[in-house]
Amino acid sequence: MEGALKLWAVIVAVGALNYLSRLSFIALFARRTMPPLLARALRYVPAAMLTALILPMVVDFKGAAADFATPRVAAALIAAAVAFATRSTLKTLGAGMAALWLLEWAYA
Amino acid sequence: MRDHIASKDFREGFVEMLPACIGLLPFGLVCGVGAAAAGANWLAALGMSAIIFSGAAQILAAQLVAADAPFAVIVLTCFVLGLRFLMYSAAMAPYLRPLPDGMQKVLAFLLTDQAFAAAVRRFNASDDHHGAGLHFLGCGAALYLVWQVSCMVGFLAGNLIPSAWSLEFAVPLCFIALLAPLFRDAPSVVAAVTAGIAVLAMSHLPMRLNLIVAGVLGIVAGTLADLARERWKAR
Repeated sequence: MEGALKLWAVIVAVGALNYLSRLSFIALFARRTMPPLLARALRYVPAAMLTALILPMVVDFKGAAADFATPRVAAALIAAAVAFATRSTLKTLGAGMAALWLLEWAYA
Repeated sequence: MRDHIASKDFREGFVEMLPACIGLLPFGLVCGVGAAAAGANWLAALGMSAIIFSGAAQILAAQLVAADAPFAVIVLTCFVLGLRFLMYSAAMAPYLRPLPDGMQKVLAFLLTDQAFAAAVRRFNASDDHHGAGLHFLGCGAALYLVWQVSCMVGFLAGNLIPSAWSLEFAVPLCFIALLAPLFRDAPSVVAAVTAGIAVLAMSHLPMRLNLIVAGVLGIVAGTLADLARERWKAR
């Protein structure tokens, strides 16, 4: 598919599926209750998908082996501790970026 | 519509969301930068933020487009990521039922991680469903406006930000802010650890397929852990 066309197709398809998911139990299946097993499984979508998204952005790969001894991994762990304790996006961002800058400066 | 925006509840929702909006600014900037990296022009970049209106899905879609993954893989991966909206939708549905049909459809579009949390608090705190609906509309409007602006600024000014600042690191940090508080719940830890091991172990898979496979494995592991915990408690 040609670049610009493919990008627009992705925007429309992902946008439509996102809206249908948001609309699902509000309008589409308004008369139904969610099957209990589905309700249980959906509770774990954020934990599983967020972790799968985060790790490849944080962990470097040198050939086949993952390298965990990097400023990014350390900064991410510090940010995770702050997020766990405070539940604040701003504090997590502040701590994570500050840790990364400091560690990269110390590492260099 | 004008009455809606002029209402006290709408204004309260709008103002209440502004601190959360500040936290979203770097995330929006990075989404704009991502759109530029995926080869979007300004209209497509605006389309991404205005139509998809989900930072995680926008980032993921932009990365997969930039990596030249097939259309079906991109759409499927973003769909799995968006499954959490089913959960929000089911949780919001009883609160929204007394509201007019059109209002429900608009509020469904504005249902995001941040608006959901604020709206549930308000609906639980007040018996005035119409007022709480307007409050939700205010929250959603604030998030929507700030989101479009920050994504556009990121798209236009992204390449002016020095790469030494590592602004792209703000993306995993925004996700970590959502993820880490979930670790108070044991099955969520099982889901995260399973997905984490799987995504790294399968990083050789083409087209970032490791993401969707790891996500599904994590969801299954979390569900099984939840069922096992329930059985254990019942004994």
